[in-house]
Amino acid sequence: MYVSPIREPLVTGAKSYKQVTDDITKPMEGKPGKLWYAGLATALLALAFGGYAIFVTVWDGIGSWGLNRTIGWGWGITNFVWWVGIGHAGTFISAILLLFRQKWRTSINRSAEAMTIFAVMCAGLFPLLHMGRLPLGFFVFPYPNTRDLWVNFNSPLLWDVFAISTYFTVSLLFWYMGLIPDIGSIRDRLKDGIKKKIYAALSFGWTGSARHWARHESMSLILAGLAAPLVLSVHSIVSMDFATSVIPGWHTTIFPPYFVAGAVFSGFAMVLTLMIITRKALHLENYITVGHVESMNKVIIATGSIVGIAYLTELFMAWYSGVVYERYAFVNRAFGPYWWAYWIMMTCNVITPQLFWFKKIRRSLVATFIISIFVNIGMWFERFVIIVTSLHRDFLPSSWSMYSPTWVEVGVYIGTFGLFFTMFFLFIRFFPVVAIAEVKSVLKSSGEKFIKKGAQHEK
Amino acid sequence: MDKQFVFSKKMMMVILLFIIVGVLLTITGLFVSHVEANRLWANILLNGFLIVGLSLGAAFFVAVHIIAESGWQTSIQRIPEAMGSKIWLGAIMIIPILFGAHHLYHWSHTEHLDHVLQLKQPYLNLSFFAARMLIYLGGWTFLFYKIRQVSLMSDQNPDIALFNRLRLFSGIFIVFFAITSSTSAWDWLMSIDAHWFSTLYGWYTFIGMFVNAIAVIIIFLVILQKLGYMSHVNDEHLHDLGKYLFGFSIFWAYLWISQYLLIWYSNIPEETAYYVDRVQGFETLFYVNVVVCFVAPFFALMSRGTKRKANWLFYTAIVVFIGHWVDLYLAIMPGAVGDELSAIGLFEIGLSLIYVTVFAFFVFKALAKANLVPQNHPFFKESFDYENIK
Amino acid sequence: MKNNKFITGMFFDDKDLIEAIEKIQEKGVFIFDVRTPFPVHGLDDILKYKRSRLPRLGFVAGVLGAICAFLFQAWVFTEAWPINFGGKPLLSVPSFIPVTFEMAVLFAAISLVFGFLIKSGIGPGAETIIFDERTTDDAFLVVIKEDENIEVKRAEEVLREVGAEDIKLVIPMLKKS
Repeated sequence: MYVSPIREPLVTGAKSYKQVTDDITKPMEGKPGKLWYAGLATALLALAFGGYAIFVTVWDGIGSWGLNRTIGWGWGITNFVWWVGIGHAGTFISAILLLFRQKWRTSINRSAEAMTIFAVMCAGLFPLLHMGRLPLGFFVFPYPNTRDLWVNFNSPLLWDVFAISTYFTVSLLFWYMGLIPDIGSIRDRLKDGIKKKIYAALSFGWTGSARHWARHESMSLILAGLAAPLVLSVHSIVSMDFATSVIPGWHTTIFPPYFVAGAVFSGFAMVLTLMIITRKALHLENYITVGHVESMNKVIIATGSIVGIAYLTELFMAWYSGVVYERYAFVNRAFGPYWWAYWIMMTCNVITPQLFWFKKIRRSLVATFIISIFVNIGMWFERFVIIVTSLHRDFLPSSWSMYSPTWVEVGVYIGTFGLFFTMFFLFIRFFPVVAIAEVKSVLKSSGEKFIKKGAQHEK
Repeated sequence: MDKQFVFSKKMMMVILLFIIVGVLLTITGLFVSHVEANRLWANILLNGFLIVGLSLGAAFFVAVHIIAESGWQTSIQRIPEAMGSKIWLGAIMIIPILFGAHHLYHWSHTEHLDHVLQLKQPYLNLSFFAARMLIYLGGWTFLFYKIRQVSLMSDQNPDIALFNRLRLFSGIFIVFFAITSSTSAWDWLMSIDAHWFSTLYGWYTFIGMFVNAIAVIIIFLVILQKLGYMSHVNDEHLHDLGKYLFGFSIFWAYLWISQYLLIWYSNIPEETAYYVDRVQGFETLFYVNVVVCFVAPFFALMSRGTKRKANWLFYTAIVVFIGHWVDLYLAIMPGAVGDELSAIGLFEIGLSLIYVTVFAFFVFKALAKANLVPQNHPFFKESFDYENIK
Repeated sequence: MKNNKFITGMFFDDKDLIEAIEKIQEKGVFIFDVRTPFPVHGLDDILKYKRSRLPRLGFVAGVLGAICAFLFQAWVFTEAWPINFGGKPLLSVPSFIPVTFEMAVLFAAISLVFGFLIKSGIGPGAETIIFDERTTDDAFLVVIKEDENIEVKRAEEVLREVGAEDIKLVIPMLKKS
């Protein structure tokens, strides 16, 4: 496959196939460093704290959260939407970018997909806890209860159950099917022993037969074709939890695509935050290059601008509608008691990503790292603004109220960070962070060594 | 591969014939059925917007591929380029609605406005409306003129700096377009139902025009191939165009259902009024629209084989084109004319035929002006060395 | 299966591999299998593999999922336990669309993955022959199976002629056959 010599190489350092395997599997061999233990310990500590907060929630009841009659959804649902949003980057990268033949995805898709799976796990925890009593979670499944009553398929909350569980299943399958050839690589590097046996089982007996590869590619393409609309549907359905209501600030038709753009935006920010550290820690600079970071920053600026336009559209339509409640909801967002949340959201989501128009900033790792954290914060506040400020002053001024979280809610949130990072630390230790086989498949067209050769050949 | 397109006398005659047929149909239509002033103006808006949408969608197609540094589409880039360079033609076609604004937009009757429309007056008033219209059309025409100019310049000059300039103008075009595509849709289409509002409307209209532009790019491509040009376009290129038509038709359906579902579900009278007009007054068309714009291309282009057959793609593209004509019809007629006075008769068909063939005439003229493939494009070679996964 | 003899030859570049395969085929020798560390572009055409029927399986399963999900919801709300919600009709099609879509995707995805695993004969605990452990690293392996048309000696000769390295005779021992 010919690649124009003016394109940046995707793999630098003139790597051979063997070096690719060696470099990527290196972090998994030998003893993990102190940094890894420290990281895992911190994550486990956070997880334990979260576990305690969950215990308090279940033992004392949902009253231990700061919710009240007017504001029935607070941090819990904010965090749910935030985590689900983060879970959109992985499948976006591996499905939609595969369909668009973006080769740079091969270096980041594996870890981004892993993040997707972990983030969706964290997200799923919140609706479950919000039920107050965990066994109630059983009743979201389409099962007729003792009075022969089925679940309500007309409720967007139930659509969510289907959307999130389908998304989790499909992402997991997609990720694991991509992973088996690489697990095969690890298996074949190991000397006989228990470790080899485990990897052999995990690799499903992968052989690398040309027949299997042809089938594998065909399956991946169709899975990508399925996952692409699935990514769109998941956050659209999450947005419908709000948009099907009649609450000003929630009921607006732009929500589905705007939530999806926001989700990809926050997902890419999280991937960047973690990959900038990971590439350094695991010495993967030749695979996750500055060019990769730049490409991701371009996605951030595109989705960030879409989100920005959606904010302005909402604002304009609130005025244009001529509906007093609609107008008030937006005035209250910007100048009401929660004005700070609104302006944090605006600054972090609309203004900071615009800095990526400058090539220098787009290619600076430090700047990218800082801005990606801003985006993470901004997108959290977006959900907080949507949920809390729309609820706290409803149609009836006598029931207007304020909300602040208790330590239990904060604790659960910290706990999900613990869960996410625990999983992530285990992942980078036991699985290859970069898709080995996929990088090899683009090495000849996009490796530094071969691009230079091609350019010379042309002259 | 470097074949220059020649706009032959014979082709011109064929197009002229179509225009004559269109004129005859239009005139017959005027005699056969009673065409009210509202219906006349609504059709002028519909066709004007159709042509603006086609050239604008094609312009967006070019710009977005340039900034995404895409390689495959360079083989067909000259077709959307030629379409995009005709925004001025669309402008000439749509500007006349300013003179018929009283027939189209009831907010323009400032003497009797209710409270809500009075509130909207700072935005919905004729002078601001006209000013905005000129800004949109002027901006699009100018920015795409620059893109086209640089693209033609690079045919002579292999300097890579020109490609970077192309990227710069494409970036500016997209930023400008991102805002104006929504606002223009609110102005020209949504404000027909002046009380109604939907935040998604701008994006919904945009995706409609984009799909329609893709369909028309395919139509032009296949016509050129039938005439013996564009023989370098291979199955992979057709496959990619087919995927676009397939994928964005699904995306269109996604936005359609998002808007409909949320309004249907919440059931707020101010919002449902829009759909009530359509479901009750235009029931058949309302469902035909979804079938033709979504179900038809979905099943027609689902398999790999059909995306790679030029004829099959061509007919699907025509069906999609008709679908988006119906979509525009449903956007305009219920509010501007009403279900009792509007119909799809000889007048509608004839008038659209005139507009579309005039547009085709100018696009062919633009195609004849430059080489059918961009010379010196840095990614051009990539376009012939890739394969879609089976 | 126990007595099968396989002759393997190794290459270290995908271009060399494809050239060699074409030469072997010209000699009229059937290639039993090719093992590569990544999907090599165009290999399935040269080996004349038929296009996978997985897409069709996915389509059928997806349609099945959609139909099941829709009919089930329709049955629940019109027959099993009708609930009036917001004064809307019992059979309110728009609100069944999200779940219908999700189930279509779920059915299709699961059937694709299982179809792939079953068709390829791999899965948890599957026992497969790994001719050479380098094939998941950087080696490309051509495998010829001994049968009535070709003897071990001839196969080795053919592989040597096309420039294969490290030509070996492998007689796999499987626990189950």
